[in-house]
Formats: sequence, C-alpha cells, structure tokens
Amino acid sequence: MVSNPSLTEDSTFTPDIPTEAVVKATDDIYIELTPHDLDSRALTTFVRSPSAGATVLFIGTTRDSFDNLPVSSLAYTSYTPLAKNTLFNIATTILNKHKCTKIAISHKLGECPIGEESIVIAVSAPHRKAAWLAGEEALEMTKDKAEIWKLERFEGGEGVWRANRDGIMGTKVPKEEEKQLPKV
Amino acid sequence: MASASKGPANHFTILYFAAASTFTGKTTEHLPAPVRVRDLFTKLDGTYPGMKEKVLGSCAVTVNLEYVDLDDDDASGAGQEIKAGDEVAIIPPE
Repeated sequence: MVSNPSLTEDSTFTPDIPTEAVVKATDDIYIELTPHDLDSRALTTFVRSPSAGATVLFIGTTRDSFDNLPVSSLAYTSYTPLAKNTLFNIATTILNKHKCTKIAISHKLGECPIGEESIVIAVSAPHRKAAWLAGEEALEMTKDKAEIWKLERFEGGEGVWRANRDGIMGTKVPKEEEKQLPKV
Repeated sequence: MASASKGPANHFTILYFAAASTFTGKTTEHLPAPVRVRDLFTKLDGTYPGMKEKVLGSCAVTVNLEYVDLDDDDASGAGQEIKAGDEVAIIPPE
C-alpha cells in the first residue's frame, strides 16, 4: 500500500488492502485474504487427502442486485490481521466439530467485479455428510464473524454504500471517506 | 497494513472500521493513553456527539487484536487499561 508522507497524522491510515495475499496456514488449515483472483482449484488441491472420501467446494460470487436494486460494483475492506486470526479460529472449530480432514478459506479484498468469486471454501472429510455440514457452517460463521465489510455501488445511484448484515440496506459512505476506499 | 504509525509518545492508535469510520470521518487517529476501555466510549462520544448511541452500542472493541468483553467490568473486560502504543479498533457488525 502506498502511503503519502505529506498527509497529516490523522490521514496516514487507509483501510488496508494488502498488495499481496495474507496467509495463515498449517498442514490441515489454509486461510487467505487476497487482493488477487481466488483460486478454487488450488484450495481444492490443498484439502485433498488419502483419508478423505469427500470434498465440498463452496464458491460465493458477487451478485448484480441487492433488494432489486442493480449493483454495478463491489469491494471488500477488512481489519486484515484480525480477520485472518478469526478465519483461522473458525477453521479450527469446524475441523474439530465435524471431524474433517482439511479446510481452506479464501476471501477477496478490494475491488471484486460482479459475477466473480468473493469467497471460496473447500473442506474435506472422510465421508460426505460431515463435509457438507462443515462447508455450510464455515460459510455462515465467516459471514457472521470475520471482520470484513462489503462496499456496494448501485447503478444510477451516487456514491458508495456500506453493506449491513444480510438483507438490510447499507449506509452511504461520505465523499471524504470514499476517496480512501478501494475503487468499487 | 492495519498498524498505523505508532504516533506521539503516551498515545495509543485507534482504528475505525465501517460505520465507525463513517461516523468519525476518519479511519484512524492517536488518542492519549492511558484510558480504561469503559471510559473510551464516553470519551469518543464527547468528541463525536451521538456516536455512543448511534454506532458504539452495536460495536465490539479489540485491543492489540484481542476482543474485550464489554459486559465484564474487571481488568480483562471494560476495566482494562489501554496503554501507550496499543492498537485499539472499533469493530461494527459485519
């Protein structure tokens, strides 16, 4: 991230979109927050294991509407170091609870064009039932707990809107703050 | 990255995300330390009138990437003292 040394103290911080993927991984957990395209194939390969008979892959893509309003573009901001830890804790919980083999969660940061992947979760388990349940629960926990916020721009509308929880209209981001946010 | 510059001596860094950033018009600033977490909201509400009711009521707080239990008043909760150099964040619901 480029910081402008001429800015005053109050303005030196901008919501952090890392220039490279931020990763936390062990042999059976892979967590990634990345400004790059998500790689579902790489995540699927990571969770592959001789002891797993089932792999479930979830791909979340950005939708072109919210409550019937056309969305023209989207971006994600995050408290990256904390979100990375939170995702890792979710993965650990899921792995233990559903007796899974491996799990990988990757979330997009910054601009995410409509129709592209914003989140990918791959989970493997000895049997399919556990993998299905684990995949669903990992997604719900991520949406509920990970410190990642969605920004939306509506077609024909002015400015950027910060999404609230599912199903609730977000709030408009003021012009001043908008300048510092990732392009949506 | 999220860690802003350390800032002046005897200050801590506070990060505002999402709705908290919208309300303050800032993403970060340095505030004088020490201050207890329970007093921080009152202090912020003084600087940004209405923030406590409109924003902070639904927010969580982290100190150095650890969530503070705001319902607990002792030293591991709202009674915790924020020290110089700490990184505090106001976390609205995702």
